[in-house]
Amino acid sequence: MLDGILTGLSTAIMPMNLLMVFVGCFVGTFIGMLPGLGPISAIALMIPITYGLEPSTGIILMAGVYYGAIFGGSTSSILINAPGCSSTVVTAFDGYPMAQKGQAGKALALAAYASFTGGTLSAFFLLVAAPALASVSLSFQSSDYFALMVLGLTAVAAFSGKGQVLKAMLMTVLGLMISTVGTDRSSGVERFTFGSIDLMDGISFLLLAMATFALAEVVMAVLKRDHMKEEENETDTSNLGSMKVTREEVKEVAPTAIRSSVLGFIVGVLPGAGATIAAFLAYGMERNLASVKEKLKFGTGSLRGLVAPEAANNASSSGSFVPLLTLGIPGSGTTAIMLGALIAYGIQPGPRMMVDNPDVFWSVIVSMYFGNIVLLILNLPLIPYISKLLMIPRTVLVPMILFFAITGVYLVSFNTFDIYMMVFFCIAAIGLRMLNFPMAPLLLGFVLGGLMEDNLRRALLISDGSLSFLWERPITAGIMAVTIIVLIAPIAQNFLQKQRSQKEAMTGSSRS
Amino acid sequence: MSSKPVNKDLIGSLIFLALSIAYGASAQLIPFYPGDEYEPFTARTLPFALSVLGAGLSFSLLISSLKKSREVSLDQPVLKSALGYDWSTVIKLLALMMFYALALKWLGFIIATTVFLLGGYWVLGERRKKVLFGASLPFVVAFWFMLTQLLDIYLAPGQLFSAFGG
Repeated sequence: MLDGILTGLSTAIMPMNLLMVFVGCFVGTFIGMLPGLGPISAIALMIPITYGLEPSTGIILMAGVYYGAIFGGSTSSILINAPGCSSTVVTAFDGYPMAQKGQAGKALALAAYASFTGGTLSAFFLLVAAPALASVSLSFQSSDYFALMVLGLTAVAAFSGKGQVLKAMLMTVLGLMISTVGTDRSSGVERFTFGSIDLMDGISFLLLAMATFALAEVVMAVLKRDHMKEEENETDTSNLGSMKVTREEVKEVAPTAIRSSVLGFIVGVLPGAGATIAAFLAYGMERNLASVKEKLKFGTGSLRGLVAPEAANNASSSGSFVPLLTLGIPGSGTTAIMLGALIAYGIQPGPRMMVDNPDVFWSVIVSMYFGNIVLLILNLPLIPYISKLLMIPRTVLVPMILFFAITGVYLVSFNTFDIYMMVFFCIAAIGLRMLNFPMAPLLLGFVLGGLMEDNLRRALLISDGSLSFLWERPITAGIMAVTIIVLIAPIAQNFLQKQRSQKEAMTGSSRS
Repeated sequence: MSSKPVNKDLIGSLIFLALSIAYGASAQLIPFYPGDEYEPFTARTLPFALSVLGAGLSFSLLISSLKKSREVSLDQPVLKSALGYDWSTVIKLLALMMFYALALKWLGFIIATTVFLLGGYWVLGERRKKVLFGASLPFVVAFWFMLTQLLDIYLAPGQLFSAFGG
């Protein structure tokens, strides 16, 4: 492991890679600050640039954009009560009230320190957990991989919130359906191309990511423009106040930051859970642990209420790299995009990655430390200046983002048909968003579609067409059992809740 | 008795049901080679499985949305909530993107992108000439220079110019 760390360190400290960490964090912070544009869009917008870079440099850049975007999202949550991404929604609960009290600087500083704690601690956990899990998963066979992918896709749906499970599953299935368009990799047969040459190579994941996230998010913001204007009026980033944090305040929030980091990392490792759930859970945990007096402060500018989600969402971001780097299975939309980028580089994330591409594997982990340091040392003092970028008129910003999204896809294929397809997917994504369908499962299904089909084919061929491969190996059977539990849990929970409320209603009516 | 508004889940489930059926029907068009019937896995296997899964899930969503709408009055009528949005700007932007694709092919990168950005600023309500022209042509030329001269990326001139230039 020490050799690996040294390899990663030597790659990560190369001037180009250090520059990319800085650029990634800076650009990510800016894009993440823009309300509506989250880390997925930020990374998607950077992918065309990474194609010209070395794999490790490209991934380091994307990882930098990831933490930067989450940090940027917190900044807009605190300053203008407009979360840049869903994982920083909770930050606004106490961050924005602090800003309203004239403590925006302190709130930003605390958010940065909490993010740093979460990021650093989780990078350490990743350093320990990833190689251990990778060595275990070296014995995995195609049936295990297939089962893992089913688990990943199911978990994404199961964790998507009340009333959203079926919708998330449908979006996953839609993603899998889109992944079948093009020439079948095994038989060479064309599927769903309808005779179009442009569809023979299938639909590029970059196109789908850009259209369903970057384009759709910007267009949705335009669609709800009146709401945006109100937010713009509230923006006042000229006076952030002092960024100093007292010793007492540090003492108060330090245990919160550590607790939330551990919780965030664990939630991040679970496929499908992600930073948003981690932030909500950490906030809830901290509120439950607080004294009655302290509890009343939550929602009005509590320091613990601000630090908990910030530490948790950053820790969860690092945690989500564990299944990606060790099993090749992304746990979130963001890591799904990274998986797509790695595959485009010819690198297959999974247990072999640590052996075949140790430089990429370790440099990503090591660069996380640098990323967190960059965010703390460079981005924090720059926040007053970066937040000025929020003043760029939307009338200029929106066409620019549309241009970068379209050009990013066009410059890879040089085919204008891709732009028409982007518009088509963008319209479909807007419709689905308006009907409250989550988009991340679509991307996850799409990215995993090809791999899942390959592993299913191999497993079926080995078992001579029998589905017994699902329970013959203990690992596969174990993973499938977990999948069933994950699938049944929300239904059972719903059923129990209904029963409880019925009982309460009955006892209430009998009393009256 | 007033009729209940059509809820979002119901519309969504019907769309997905139709999509799954259409997808399954199109899967029939995937070529089937002689001997494929003895193979445990063919190019049609996953599409058929997905079609069945998609139809089953959409049907479940349909049932649950019908059940819910009977129990409680659900969210706002879809049409009513959608009417409050700025559709005209969005339609113009989408049309502009389509035009951009067409113009890129015929007019080339510089003209197409300049027109796209100018059009985008205009559609979103920007009327200041300084911004309109300052953030379009100079930016596009700088970007074109970076792509072609610094990154050595070949950008084909528009087909219209190629045709005239022979």
